[in-house]
Amino acid sequence: MDPLLDMRHVEIRYHGRPAVRDVSLRMEEGEILGIVGESGSGKSTLIRAAMGLLGTGGAVTGGTIAYRGQTVTGAAPDVLRRMRGPDMGMIFQNTGASLCPIRTIEDQLYESVTQHEKAQKAEIRARALELFSKMRLTDGERILKSYPFELSGGMNQRVGIMLAMALKPRLLFADEPTSALDVTVQAQVVRELMEMRRLYGAGVVIVTHNIGVVERMADKVAVMHEGRIVEYGPKEDVIGHPREAYTKRLMGAVLRIRRG
Amino acid sequence: MERLLEVRELKKTFYKEKKPFVAVDRISFHVDRGECVGLVGESGCGKSTTAGLITRLLDPDAGSILLDGEEILDWKPKDCKKLYRKVQMIFQTPQDSFDPRRTLGDGILESLQNQGMKRRAAEKRMYELLEMVDLGREFAKRLPHEVSGGQCQRAAIARALAPNPELLICDEATSALDVTVQAQIAGLLKKLQRERGLSLLLICHDLALVQHLCSRMLVMYGGAIVEEGAPDQVIQNPAEEYTKLLVESAF
Repeated sequence: MDPLLDMRHVEIRYHGRPAVRDVSLRMEEGEILGIVGESGSGKSTLIRAAMGLLGTGGAVTGGTIAYRGQTVTGAAPDVLRRMRGPDMGMIFQNTGASLCPIRTIEDQLYESVTQHEKAQKAEIRARALELFSKMRLTDGERILKSYPFELSGGMNQRVGIMLAMALKPRLLFADEPTSALDVTVQAQVVRELMEMRRLYGAGVVIVTHNIGVVERMADKVAVMHEGRIVEYGPKEDVIGHPREAYTKRLMGAVLRIRRG
Repeated sequence: MERLLEVRELKKTFYKEKKPFVAVDRISFHVDRGECVGLVGESGCGKSTTAGLITRLLDPDAGSILLDGEEILDWKPKDCKKLYRKVQMIFQTPQDSFDPRRTLGDGILESLQNQGMKRRAAEKRMYELLEMVDLGREFAKRLPHEVSGGQCQRAAIARALAPNPELLICDEATSALDVTVQAQIAGLLKKLQRERGLSLLLICHDLALVQHLCSRMLVMYGGAIVEEGAPDQVIQNPAEEYTKLLVESAF
């Protein structure tokens, strides 16, 4: 069977300048991959390329990215548009800011789902409420009726997870999904992302500079530095026994809480 | 140890559409000379309001703030120059605390000249300050957007050190930085505390950082200080529900 995500020798440039060089990654169904690195290391660029969301000035200039055997790089815009959502979903650092401020969550949910499938409002609502209840949010009705600004940062991130999962993607990209949140809320969002894999079998790529988040969530870890993957492997190896000098330095800089 | 800052029964209420919201609820704490105290808690718990009160950017409803034994709440705005000679502050996004159209060097010079230093002397001192935070001379000519977040935070620390303060309040000063840069800034703060006897009030939600830098920590929740003690002791035996949750949540 084709892997869920297969990147081979990917090179990405912004305005001619290389941002990602010779990156190869392979993910199986239901796997959680953590991509860590500092600002500017190319980690967000990489997942944006997989989603076909590089924007003007950015382009994949080498290599291929395939989702379940289907090549994404160089695919026509409408093919990509159909894939974004039902195949590959995405959660951003600040969901509140990525939504329309003058429309309710419910309204934006309907729009997003009906772009991809013929579904009745009642059915879409039920799907959203089920997702909320899986996240142990009991006031889903109220959340759906809210505008993004009426919700806290943590609540907006749960809305982001709900909006992405309402289309039942096999692969979920999460770009710094917990970085703007309070520590206690961070831990909840991490638990909920892991629930999405457990309940729906979705593979997750989480991009973050928070090593602790990756340590808790990921099966495999890729460390990026200056556009390249410097180390890639099972979490226990990369975080527990880093081989590369850069990874050692990165792990060495992480302050850990001493509990005993 | 000598007491530098003493806060007693400090209270601040904000009003939104005439509805009162008590942001800081009769808190008392102190910072000794050369000590590093951590103030932790989630967004909205009143940490930054506390910093605003200590720096007289906000006026409290009640309470007392003693700096070297003097009641700063009695000072007229004009006298607050005295306050800023002793207390300085750095913020989460240093880029926002510099004028985007002026070089970092100019930003630091302004602070020095405000204290009455002549241009020549101020320039010499500015380069000394840059050196103190491990930035090369060339950074004086850079604009805030031309340097990285970590470099800009160093420049902000240099500017804060310009009046030779005794207390530096760091409001989430490392939260927006990469881990390796966070570690560098934490190292710099530690060095300044050790070598210059600088007192630090570290406002943050990173328990590991507090444990690493501070000798005492205060946990704030809903405007009140709910727990206080040595970081190891608080983290290993949290007494309050909120503190327990915070410790459990830390990665």
